[in-house]
Amino acid sequence: MVNELLNMASSDAGKMVLGLIGVLVFVVVNALLLTWAERKVAGHMQRRIGPKEVGPFGLIQPIADAIKLLGKEILTPAKVDKPLYYLAPVLIFVPVLVSFIVIPFDASLQVTDINVGILVILAFSSISVLSILMAGWGSENKYSLIGAVRSVAQNIAYEIPLLLALLPVIMLANSLSLKEIVEKQEGLWFVVIQPLAFIIYFIASVAETNRTPFDLPEAESELVAGYHTEYSGMRFALFFLAEYTNIFIVSAIAATFFLGGYQGPLLPGIVWFLLKSYFLVFVIMWLRWTYPRVRFDQLLNFAWKGLIPLAFVNLIITGGLLKI
Amino acid sequence: MSGIAEEIKASVMGAEPVEVSYPEKGYHCALETSPDKLPDIVRLFDEKRFYLECLLCTDYTDYLELVYLFNTHLSPCRVKVTLKVDPQQPVAPSMSSIYASAYWYEREIHEFYGVLFTGHPNMTYLFLHNDIHDYPLRKGKVPVPPEDKERLDSFKPGEQEDTFFINLGPQHPSTHGVLRVVLKMDGEYIEQAEPVLGYLHRMHEKMAENRSYQQFLPNTGRMDYLGPMSFNLGYVLAVERLCAISVPDRAIFVRIIATELNRICSHLLWVGAYLADLGALTPFLFVFDDREQIQDVLEGITGSRLTYCYFRFGGLYNDVDDQFIAGTKAFVKRMWGRFSLYEKLVTGNVIFVNRTKGIGTITGEQARKYGVAGPVLRSAGIACDLRKVESYSAYNEMEFNIPVGEHGDALDTYKIRIAEMENSLRIIEQALAKLPGGPFMAEKVPKKLKPPRGDIYQVVETPRGELGIYIVSDESDRPLRMKWRVPSFSNLMIFPELARGMLLADAVAILGSLDLVIPEIDR
Amino acid sequence: MGERGFHLEKEIIPVKFAMVEKVLDLARANSLWPVTFGLACCAIEMMSTSMSRFDIDRFGAGVFRASPRQADFMIVTGTVTKKMAPVLTTLYEQMPSPKWVIAMGNCAISGGPFVFEGQYNIVEGVDLLVPVDVYVPGCPPRPEALLEGLLKLEEKITGTRRFPRVESA
Repeated sequence: MVNELLNMASSDAGKMVLGLIGVLVFVVVNALLLTWAERKVAGHMQRRIGPKEVGPFGLIQPIADAIKLLGKEILTPAKVDKPLYYLAPVLIFVPVLVSFIVIPFDASLQVTDINVGILVILAFSSISVLSILMAGWGSENKYSLIGAVRSVAQNIAYEIPLLLALLPVIMLANSLSLKEIVEKQEGLWFVVIQPLAFIIYFIASVAETNRTPFDLPEAESELVAGYHTEYSGMRFALFFLAEYTNIFIVSAIAATFFLGGYQGPLLPGIVWFLLKSYFLVFVIMWLRWTYPRVRFDQLLNFAWKGLIPLAFVNLIITGGLLKI
Repeated sequence: MSGIAEEIKASVMGAEPVEVSYPEKGYHCALETSPDKLPDIVRLFDEKRFYLECLLCTDYTDYLELVYLFNTHLSPCRVKVTLKVDPQQPVAPSMSSIYASAYWYEREIHEFYGVLFTGHPNMTYLFLHNDIHDYPLRKGKVPVPPEDKERLDSFKPGEQEDTFFINLGPQHPSTHGVLRVVLKMDGEYIEQAEPVLGYLHRMHEKMAENRSYQQFLPNTGRMDYLGPMSFNLGYVLAVERLCAISVPDRAIFVRIIATELNRICSHLLWVGAYLADLGALTPFLFVFDDREQIQDVLEGITGSRLTYCYFRFGGLYNDVDDQFIAGTKAFVKRMWGRFSLYEKLVTGNVIFVNRTKGIGTITGEQARKYGVAGPVLRSAGIACDLRKVESYSAYNEMEFNIPVGEHGDALDTYKIRIAEMENSLRIIEQALAKLPGGPFMAEKVPKKLKPPRGDIYQVVETPRGELGIYIVSDESDRPLRMKWRVPSFSNLMIFPELARGMLLADAVAILGSLDLVIPEIDR
Repeated sequence: MGERGFHLEKEIIPVKFAMVEKVLDLARANSLWPVTFGLACCAIEMMSTSMSRFDIDRFGAGVFRASPRQADFMIVTGTVTKKMAPVLTTLYEQMPSPKWVIAMGNCAISGGPFVFEGQYNIVEGVDLLVPVDVYVPGCPPRPEALLEGLLKLEEKITGTRRFPRVESA
């Protein structure tokens, strides 16, 4: 029995299933941890404590939140476009799960190493825009709709510099596989060679995850809660979960592409990887609790007139230097 | 100052302006007119670059009296123009085509008194709702006629092709209360903005007519919960002027200290709330930290944290102690050190500057037409601060300057408010240094005030701008009429014009920069 | 607008999943998210409660949601006018169950200082519109009072109190 299980686990399909379960667990734990961390970080930046009374250091707080959201009435507003409304929170989860499959947590800790790993992530992450649009359209709410339209424009605009910032690294590493990219950074992180690309990527990824200063799709003071205004209970929790997982994913990709992924002395690879990723997550939170929000036209101008040309120049220079 | 009376006499046939004693009445010149001469007179004021300070109505049972108060910004010359209206068939010409600010004042009077303004483009409900069956502020029971009700209830935004409507409020995070703005949108651009008020109409003016002068005191703090001291001060000054009560020096100085502390408190909250509107939440908590210090200081003498009611006719509720003085000094010291923090956190932030620069630009002419007040007015370059221009209490003994803006945009209003906080600190320092001893309450203030017959007008500079209180006494212990000319109301009037053609995010930024307090607008 | 209080025609005996209910109640009590809904003066004190000195987030109740769909309870902070009443009721109805209401301040409780003969515009107590769970008196109540109100609400949900009660001297 045990042997059979082990056999199954070592087979490709088994590995996949185990990996998926692991990813699911990680997604949930990560989101719970990040909501707690966000409230704590916000609290300490704002001269207060944040969650404290629920469990030690308020650690049980996210679990209480999750259980509460599970126990909420499943409320469907009367006028919503039902198929879209129901499907959106589920669909937003697909790209999140797929992205995790190819991220190398450690030299051997990776669900599967696809040789076009980064393409998979980028391709699937575009789907999240679709689900946001579905949520906004299906909610029959003007705020939701404006939020969704903003989100689409923003995501399309910032996907380009995001990709353009990753390309030089791919050229340097000569591979699309995430694991190989990490391996290539032994000794020298790509952030040293490509600081500009790192900054462009980081800005674009903040925009991709709809975080302040680019949190226009859910700008509270303008759009109430943006595209998820009409969502409640568990469906809202799914959006929340996806948002925090996305933050982790963009940080993990940044760590993988620019900060040497799991490479690092003394400590095991996974610790290095998580340290780097969570540090970037912290920076994203830090930004959120410091900056005001940009305006919509400024946001788009920044992408099309600022980041994209800059990324192109960087790409051309890198390409030229590599050729020589 | 006195020249205006002759000019009116010369330009308008048959007008007979009377000069009155300013210290007694609070205005310089009074003039009664008739409906046919009114447009000429108003046009004359417009040519002479007066602004319409206030437009109000008083019910004297036998007749209704419309009162137009005109003033100039830099050298006070307040002219009261009155127009008697028949109570059975109240009709008056509309002045909204000359002064934009008359547009809302006339709607207000129509709702509360039933006076129909001919030529007014939009006589619909501003404050009330169709559940009101009698005109609220009329003395007798005057039912709203059905055709009037229909007219009042005619505001029904309908969608057209290519545009849609958004309700910003009444429950919306950026309206800071229960303001509702109906926005006609073309995509993210605003085609038209129409504020709908009255979601917090708490009948202060009606209550004033039902209470004795003392009983109304706590209401003042609830009208503007962010600057209750200024409202308190305005009210006691008005009643003191009406009853000719003199106030001991110590009380005057303590009043200044308390009011200025409260002004800082209010501006601080604005800074925080404005930044929150723009998406930065952390400054909000930082300013509340400073606010708590002020509230600690004021709580010691007033007994409350928010809706203070500290001033009394003829003085104060109680004397200040050493603890208060020490606390104030400590706060002033702390606050001086905080500006650099705000400078780093807010003023130097590129996103903040880009969001506010060139947004909601007000010109001096617009400011005059709409009668805007306070920091918004000063951002348009008009150095009108009533503490200096029309000094009251002992502000003329204080040294401070009036910060003015260059562009009239939202960024200017921010800079002005920060500078005003610094000025307030300076005033507090001076008042503390000069604080005399002696009694804190005038002797022989009668328990039951029965002011002599007549009307007075009193202005004070609240954190949001010009507050005017118009009281009519009929020798009883209750006022016959008490009108509050509030700065937020006139500041909001300009919003539809500023918002036109802007992005939704800009509308939020503009609305925030006006620093609105909703219960003050709704009264 | 109905009468004060609620009358059940017959007693409803709910089916109880004891353990699950308990866990749910505990979670609910520790994760009360309020609607961002300020009416008047009390709203400023509500903000103070969520700020540095009082920090309502310690109890997990600091997540102010602007959308009522995502909130658990509503703090009615101020005077409810007749014009506002339908809006408030709508907001309450938009919240998913289980939901609670705290009436903060005298205006929300009974109309407070604005009740006088001939008043034409306010609702004399928000409990005429929606069921109220906890009343926090004051004009406005101090932030400590609102925190106590929150603890009371938690007590109402779970049946046990978070902190020992302070005995009045």
